[in-house]
Amino acid sequence: MLRFIVRRLLITIPTILVVISITWVLIKLAPGNFYSGEKVLSPAVEKTIREKYGLDKPWYQQYGKTMWTIVRHLDFGTSLKYEGQSVNTIIKRSLPVSATIGILAYLLALVVGITAGSLAALKQNSKWDYTSMALAMLGISVPNFVLGPILVLIFSLGLYWVPPSRWEGFPSRNLILPVLTLSAVYMAYIARLTRAGMLEVLRSDYIRTARAKGLRERDVVLKHALRGGLMPVVSYTGPALAFLLTGTVVVERIFALPGLGNYFIQASLNRDEPLIIGIVAFIAITLLLMNLLVDIAYAYLDPRVRYQ
Amino acid sequence: MHSDKLKQTVGLVLLAALALANHSCNVVSSNEEFFGSTTPPARNIFRYVTGDEPETLDPTISNGQPEARIYLGLYEGLVEYNPKTLAPEPALAERWHINNDASEFTFHLRNTGRWSNGDPIDANDFVYSFRRALKKETASKNASMAFYLKYGQAYYEQRVFVRDPKTAQFLLAKDFDPNSPPEPLSGSPIDTAKSEYLPDSKETTPDPDSAFHHQMHTPTRLTLPGDEKKRNKSLDADPKLKQAVAGKEFVPIKPEDIGVEAVNKYMLRISLSQPAPFFLGLLAHQVFRIVPRNVVEKYGDQWAHAEHIVTCGPFKVKLWKPYDQLVLERDPMYWDAANVKLDEIYFYPILDNSTAMNMYKVGELDALYNHAVPNPWVHIIKTKKDYMDKGEAAIDYLIINTTKFPLNNPKVRKAFNLSIDKDAYANWRRIVKPLNGFMPEGMFPGYPQPKPEPFNPAEARRLLGEAGYPVSQNADGSWSCPKFPSDQVEFVFNTQAQNRSFAEWMQAQWKQNLGITVGLRNMEWKTFLDAKAKLDFKGFMRGAWGADYMDPFTFLSLFYTGADSGTGWQDPKYVAMLDEANRTLDHQKRYDLLAKAEAYMIEQQPIIPLDTPSVNWLKKPYVKGMYPNPGSLYPWKYVYIERDQAKWDYSTPSLTAE
Repeated sequence: MLRFIVRRLLITIPTILVVISITWVLIKLAPGNFYSGEKVLSPAVEKTIREKYGLDKPWYQQYGKTMWTIVRHLDFGTSLKYEGQSVNTIIKRSLPVSATIGILAYLLALVVGITAGSLAALKQNSKWDYTSMALAMLGISVPNFVLGPILVLIFSLGLYWVPPSRWEGFPSRNLILPVLTLSAVYMAYIARLTRAGMLEVLRSDYIRTARAKGLRERDVVLKHALRGGLMPVVSYTGPALAFLLTGTVVVERIFALPGLGNYFIQASLNRDEPLIIGIVAFIAITLLLMNLLVDIAYAYLDPRVRYQ
Repeated sequence: MHSDKLKQTVGLVLLAALALANHSCNVVSSNEEFFGSTTPPARNIFRYVTGDEPETLDPTISNGQPEARIYLGLYEGLVEYNPKTLAPEPALAERWHINNDASEFTFHLRNTGRWSNGDPIDANDFVYSFRRALKKETASKNASMAFYLKYGQAYYEQRVFVRDPKTAQFLLAKDFDPNSPPEPLSGSPIDTAKSEYLPDSKETTPDPDSAFHHQMHTPTRLTLPGDEKKRNKSLDADPKLKQAVAGKEFVPIKPEDIGVEAVNKYMLRISLSQPAPFFLGLLAHQVFRIVPRNVVEKYGDQWAHAEHIVTCGPFKVKLWKPYDQLVLERDPMYWDAANVKLDEIYFYPILDNSTAMNMYKVGELDALYNHAVPNPWVHIIKTKKDYMDKGEAAIDYLIINTTKFPLNNPKVRKAFNLSIDKDAYANWRRIVKPLNGFMPEGMFPGYPQPKPEPFNPAEARRLLGEAGYPVSQNADGSWSCPKFPSDQVEFVFNTQAQNRSFAEWMQAQWKQNLGITVGLRNMEWKTFLDAKAKLDFKGFMRGAWGADYMDPFTFLSLFYTGADSGTGWQDPKYVAMLDEANRTLDHQKRYDLLAKAEAYMIEQQPIIPLDTPSVNWLKKPYVKGMYPNPGSLYPWKYVYIERDQAKWDYSTPSLTAE
């Protein structure tokens, strides 16, 4: 097991470097520059700015310099758009915002999703089943850029219950709408996956055995069925958690939250090379780590899975 | 059985959606006088949206609009915008006088100016800040605005003077360039310019003279590239110059050579390389607001971070959480602190207009930035009493790539212009007025706006025929122009929902009136800018321009150098016309000459004028001292919260002096 983990961690390093390189190439291929705007810079000013940020150097020198500072110092450099702000600082500052919303949404999605999914499976074809699955279908189909404004419309502008946007720290009433909006899709997926997983497990031989030996229904469900039924959920929630933690572009934008997702989209639109690379690398690392966690959780949940 | 359940579910969902839609209509179209809450904040604070996150709090560096509005609170320059007209008003300079051809400006500073750390402000702070703006390493995006200062551009480009080592005389520009413009008064010998200044009863003693002043008043020196390779190249191209330069020494241009001088502690003199009647208005721009030398030199590019920053405006930084909020508080050190009414200003960076509108409605914002009201909302919001409806110093137009076939033919360009009904367009857009020239209608009183021919589809078809693309009428009354290479012409716009509808509108006009179908193509913003800068598009592009300062030249200068306009159109005759106008001392004559240049440019049709927009934002009725001025720049020191409902604004406040 330990060897497996170490090996996976080692593979992570070249993967990240490849990800960074591809990102770098994509940025260089994108037309436009971080300094271009509606007001065109005078040629002399443009030349100065290109020299200041080393954009006048040949591509291999620019690439080499970028990679070297990252590998050598784990430093993604300074933002091109935000004068004197280092990428590491920006990530450090915005990650807690994204992570707070993400973890809350994740927990909400897990609790509601698994409960609804299990209920639907245990009482298949009942009104419970249909209601929760209809809601889940709605949750999957309604994108969050629609759901968010609708929630704001009802609960902020209509009923004046909660503020419509902005970050006020944790805990605060401002968190309610973004967390609800963010968790809806995940909640819905988890409910459907749980239902499907549970239905399959409930028909399997070892559940029949458990019932045959006279276990109480509660024990059958909680100790035996749920453990197997959640396998699909686990493989789904690993990457989902990675995306939730590292910020979601749309929700952060609708609710004006100073999270990583907001920076990510702005950095891309601004062609802010160091910031894009920094955030992409960070998301990639989180994703790889979460996948590793999923694999470990597999081994724990399913006795048949063993890693050599 | 199963399908019944499905039907039920679908029915339920539809019902829920309907309920929501119904609810949303109620919220938006409620018949309130104002848009949402009108409860003033409990404290004397003002909450505003900046739009994008400010890229830096260093006023010298950034050329952005969100930043410009923040700098109005944090920094001051020699002059400040009038909150209604944007005309320059005394700020750190108490008074000034300008020489007869607007090429030399003398400012008398007030001796009560202080930085937020208590240090006094004097003329040397201006000298330092202007030189820093022109220093290449500063990489200011606004540096070119300061190129009007004598030798400013040459210093920025690190050029060199040429000096004869034996006589210590410098070579002069006029000896090598027969086309060089006549010296302005600021460059003519002082003795012959005795009557340089208009008689002014307030000035009892003449300005002190100085060696530097005399040096400025010598004819403009020749400058050559500082880089040896480039210099040799330009010398090789000009044998006469090469011969003259032989045996001479090259003297790098130093910051001390730039035309700005601290005559004494509270007197600043600025010498320009050309007459610039608009320069005083330009001095309120962020690049001419001052920065604290000792702090900048101590902390480098970190100086404007919240923990180090020192400012000179009515407010100072209290708290800065990037992408979250920037809080300013009243600065007790400010020279006019007694007249600053707000205790705090909250700037929120919010990128989504609907989000900003929501916050305004529930009363978490006191005003919105210009053009925050989305187009589909305008017809409802416009009826509210807190809607700001006034002209804007800006224009919308179509850029034409004049370098590519078939639009390289002026007749074709004209035909496309004449076939757009701008009145109908303005009616449809609701917040714009039709535009036929290149100047916002009525923005500059006394400016004789050229009146080019308006909508005339018959003439358009005739012109197209003359250009070799005859337009014929079909049996059903529609037009067709089979010979026109419509695959060579596109309409390019940057990705945004409303831009597409504008483009479709133009497309329909051309189809209806000329029988030509122009393809549409959208581009991501930076890609769009890149294509524009490189003239890498065929046909038309969406264009817009907002005034940098309140003078017609801010619009006309777009075609002064070819690079800015995105059309590829450049004409030495037009440049000469502008130069002549700017050398003209009489205000009205200068306007006449500028208008002549404008008419000349419009005649060549490198652009198609579309409309003059109105400002489009909201302000709570209790916010006073904030006016919908044409540049959407608000000097925050005048803004206050009025708690007496009788004194609230129940309509757009007037911009004329009370």
